[in-house]
Amino acid sequence: MHRQSTGYLFVLPALLVLGLLIAYPVAYTGLLSVTDNQGNYVGVENFARILGARATPTAFVNTLWWVFGSIVFQVILGVLAAILLNQNFRGRAIVRSVTLIPWVVPGIVAATTWAWMLHTEFGIINYMLTAPGIVPEPVGWLTNGSTVLPVMIAINIWKMFPFVAIMVLAGLQSIPNDLYEAARIDGASFWEEVWYVMLPQVRPVIIAVTLLLVIWALNHITIIYAITRGGPANRTLITPIQIFRTAFESVQFNQAAALSVMFFAVAIVVVFVYIRTLASNAGEAR
Amino acid sequence: MKKLFKTAALLGCTVSGLALSAGWASAGEVTWWTPNFNEARARELVEKFQAANPDITINLEITTTDGLPQRILTALQSGAAPDVIDVQHGWVNGYAQNNLVVPLDEVLTDREDYIPAALDYVTWEDQLWGIPYRIETHAIIYNKGDLVAAGLDPENPPQTWEEFVAAAQAMTKDGKSGFAITGGGEVGNTIFRSLPFMWMAGGGIISEDGTEVLVNSPESVRAVTYYTDFLKNGISPSSTLENDGTANRRLFIAETVSMYQSGQFDVNSIRQENPNIDIGVMAIPHPEGADTAAILGGWSLVVPTDAKNPEEAKTFIAFLGEADSQAVLTDTFPARVSAMEAERFQDPILQVFKEMLPFGRPVPAHPRWVQISQAYFDGIQRILLGDEDVQTAMDGAADEIEALL
Repeated sequence: MHRQSTGYLFVLPALLVLGLLIAYPVAYTGLLSVTDNQGNYVGVENFARILGARATPTAFVNTLWWVFGSIVFQVILGVLAAILLNQNFRGRAIVRSVTLIPWVVPGIVAATTWAWMLHTEFGIINYMLTAPGIVPEPVGWLTNGSTVLPVMIAINIWKMFPFVAIMVLAGLQSIPNDLYEAARIDGASFWEEVWYVMLPQVRPVIIAVTLLLVIWALNHITIIYAITRGGPANRTLITPIQIFRTAFESVQFNQAAALSVMFFAVAIVVVFVYIRTLASNAGEAR
Repeated sequence: MKKLFKTAALLGCTVSGLALSAGWASAGEVTWWTPNFNEARARELVEKFQAANPDITINLEITTTDGLPQRILTALQSGAAPDVIDVQHGWVNGYAQNNLVVPLDEVLTDREDYIPAALDYVTWEDQLWGIPYRIETHAIIYNKGDLVAAGLDPENPPQTWEEFVAAAQAMTKDGKSGFAITGGGEVGNTIFRSLPFMWMAGGGIISEDGTEVLVNSPESVRAVTYYTDFLKNGISPSSTLENDGTANRRLFIAETVSMYQSGQFDVNSIRQENPNIDIGVMAIPHPEGADTAAILGGWSLVVPTDAKNPEEAKTFIAFLGEADSQAVLTDTFPARVSAMEAERFQDPILQVFKEMLPFGRPVPAHPRWVQISQAYFDGIQRILLGDEDVQTAMDGAADEIEALL
């Protein structure tokens, strides 16, 4: 008994820091969500107001598209890149480092550069398309309602697939050689090796990485905010940006907190369901 | 998981983090936040002030305009604010309503020397919450060469809405756009450029007392139609929805745009980057039989409620409010009429900007103005995207704004 309480004493500083950095802000956000800016209790008024805002459903739908579109392609592209980088070929080290570049570039730098590259009038992408006559007129990538969100998703895929590739590559390299040998003796082709040896072996990695990607996509701000600020006409507004705008542009901290609380709950459910279904299956498979 | 908490903790974290960085200031020290474009002139004034007041030390801290409103707001709410801050006129009312700054009536001298609209801006409940030192309005900057090429007289630019559209239409040829409006970037860009047209037509976004929605009145719809038709009719570049004021200036410098709205601060960078352009300035066109209008912009000085040394801060602001100081500190025009006589305001290219000043009006002071203007701006973007016609988009904006009043 005595030893145990001494132990608690030793972890106390760490717990205090954690409490200050995590528990306090979360609790404070909860408190903000049910008060007005004078600190008076107002019940669910903030929740009702922010849910009634025209932008809220739009942002929610956009968030679904954003998360789903980003994750699917990030994972597929990342796994393919990892399999490629796992092969033996000349210059592999260089290709491996080059692949990492999008992930290493600071988000705000990448976003601003893309914004310029995509500009209708003086963007290099339209220049490259119009100069050889591939398209007759410059494309308004960021001004056309149907292209702007896909373009944002594409930039996010470009930014994050190297992360998936590196993590999966690390998993691939830990696969013992006997498995490949056994497969080859049974006459497996390359794609059968991929399907029956590589993917099952890196499955836990892919599941963990996907979880991280979901969380990052759910609280993403940089790329979209730097390029479009959620516009035009909320076509690229996702919930985290709506929270940011409500708090720091409109100065409605209480409504922003209410939206945060709801978004937090949704995110928790998504993550919980994901872990329960996929992660437990992975355990059985092993 | 930590990442996940971060989303929810965004607000709390910022506030608590900043509270930890509270500064220590001793008596007689005044910390002054001023934007980077003011730095050289601010240092000059600080030196002058300290020579006369050796017992007060001014600590100059240079801010950048990008993200400034958020930075100031967090400082004001954290309890660790500086003593004097340079803020845009439009922000002052929000601070006053939330009790974040102190009234400054006792500091103001020569009330009648100030442009009245500038004082109106920073007044709330009959008290003065900031000392305006800089004012400006937009006008239309045009390329005289393009006017000549379109067969028009560059010294006699169009005056009315109809004349202006005709001129812009005539200049839209050979890959050039006659007149660029904004439809992207920060909300303020488009408010500054479109709201004056609504005022001229007798409309607005909300009424001056903030009780009535005007955004879908026939007058406002007429003005919004006038504004957005520049894109619909191909006069404004196809990139309009991603252009803010800076992008329009770049397009003007690249000689792909012949006219655009801006303030006098753009003139120098145009001259530097493309000396070939013969720059002209005209008043913003007005409807037949009505006056022109513009939003009065500019900067004021405020003293936060949490300032460590408010008395010294007020002494310093009183010094900055003198006509001589204002003539030095402002990047555009001073808020005091008598300061306008200084040599630097006599450049002929400034003439039209100066003539626009009396037509400058403050934007309505409403606690939810940012959300109101966002709702209006979303409507403008829906029109520019081609999603909705003007009346539908403004009716939608009106519904949103109604809920905010």
